Amino acid sequence: MPEPLISQATIYRAVQTAIGEALQIPEEKVTPDRSLIKDLGVESLDLIDINFRLEQDFNIVMPRKYLLDHVEELFGEGTAIDDQDRLTGAAVTIWNARLGSTGTAVHAGMSIEAVPALVTPRTLVMVVEEILATRPATCPACGKSAWTVADERFITCGQCGARAPLSTGDDVIRQWLEDFRARGGLTSHTP
Amino acid sequence: MGPCRGRVALVTGSSRGLGRVIARTLSEAGADLIINYRQAGGRSETQARALAKELVERGSRAVAIQADIGQKDAVAAMFQQIGAEFGRLDILVLNAARAPFKKAGELLKRDLLELVETNYLGNVYCLQQALPLMQGRPGHVVFISSLGSRFALPSYPLGSMKAAMESLVKQWATELGDRQITVNGVTVGLLKTDSLMVLRQYWPGVERLPASAFVDLEDVAGVVLFLCSDAARSIRGQNLVVDNGLSNELLHAAPSS
Repeated sequence: MPEPLISQATIYRAVQTAIGEALQIPEEKVTPDRSLIKDLGVESLDLIDINFRLEQDFNIVMPRKYLLDHVEELFGEGTAIDDQDRLTGAAVTIWNARLGSTGTAVHAGMSIEAVPALVTPRTLVMVVEEILATRPATCPACGKSAWTVADERFITCGQCGARAPLSTGDDVIRQWLEDFRARGGLTSHTP
Repeated sequence: MGPCRGRVALVTGSSRGLGRVIARTLSEAGADLIINYRQAGGRSETQARALAKELVERGSRAVAIQADIGQKDAVAAMFQQIGAEFGRLDILVLNAARAPFKKAGELLKRDLLELVETNYLGNVYCLQQALPLMQGRPGHVVFISSLGSRFALPSYPLGSMKAAMESLVKQWATELGDRQITVNGVTVGLLKTDSLMVLRQYWPGVERLPASAFVDLEDVAGVVLFLCSDAARSIRGQNLVVDNGLSNELLHAAPSS
């Protein structure tokens, strides 16, 4: 990953503001590890609102789909969630590898219904950081390596002023999953 | 003295958006209201309760009842409560909807089940449970559809369920005509509700379409109220397009980026 141009603290403040404004609650109520759904009362439409605000803030595209949806689309239905709507061993392996550092844990047999409640402000910060880290080494418009940050939020070419092209959140997740499979992360789950 | 005085109305999915405006409009027309919402413990519940409280303070009877209409048992429990508290139902507005926004190739079995359970089966469950409470009196059923029933929208499998329901509207209207229960659909255009937040994720620029591309929530609610009035008793099995004319004009539908 390249050196971040926008600090984690800046992203966290934006996440806090987005949640506060979407839910119309004081920002102080938003702390890094509170469950958006369980602790703050977020519903799916609110999450879309929060994501939209972050997209405007950073000129990014947040994921439209959850990690485990991507797993099923990429590796086949039934890989992550069994026919009783419970998480499989592979889902747990993938989750822990990708999101273990955010302090959330899942276990095999857990209901898929319980998974969205694991999203916290910390998860959103991680997603934004990952998307921002997809800026190419050089500006595709002028070929210079002179990324800078405009208005504290937008990664912009210091030479020609073009905005940095960034992967979408869904692309980031898909790429991560492809890499995880390529480095053998799933071997214990494939017959 | 509103046109719905003395009547009892259920609006499914009425904690937010269009459902909320329809519930308020029917209440202002004199109806007693059941506000339905899906999810316990979240913002919908807070908003549903706040709306019920507001309607009560304005002098009508109103309760908020949690039920996921896609679950048959939950629907039965909701109607049991309606029967116990109101003893009747005169107006059923099938407004609740919930769907994955995905392209056809991405739909998992789970997505398909959610699509059919909430947007098709759930409406059938509600009608089945409502009929005994509508016994012996004229009644009105209004289904809230969308232009997605007739036109392709990006990543919008919900449109196929809306089309199925528009077909059922005609079936039900015919079956229930003898009982003086009218059944109609309102096919709405673009709304500035939470649904627009979803739509703009898949249709970039939709929020920048000219104001004339959108239809006011109050205008839609007004048509629902009309369909629930005696004046509309001869309108049966129709799906009325209420879209501020959007679907007449091909070029309005193009995104302005």
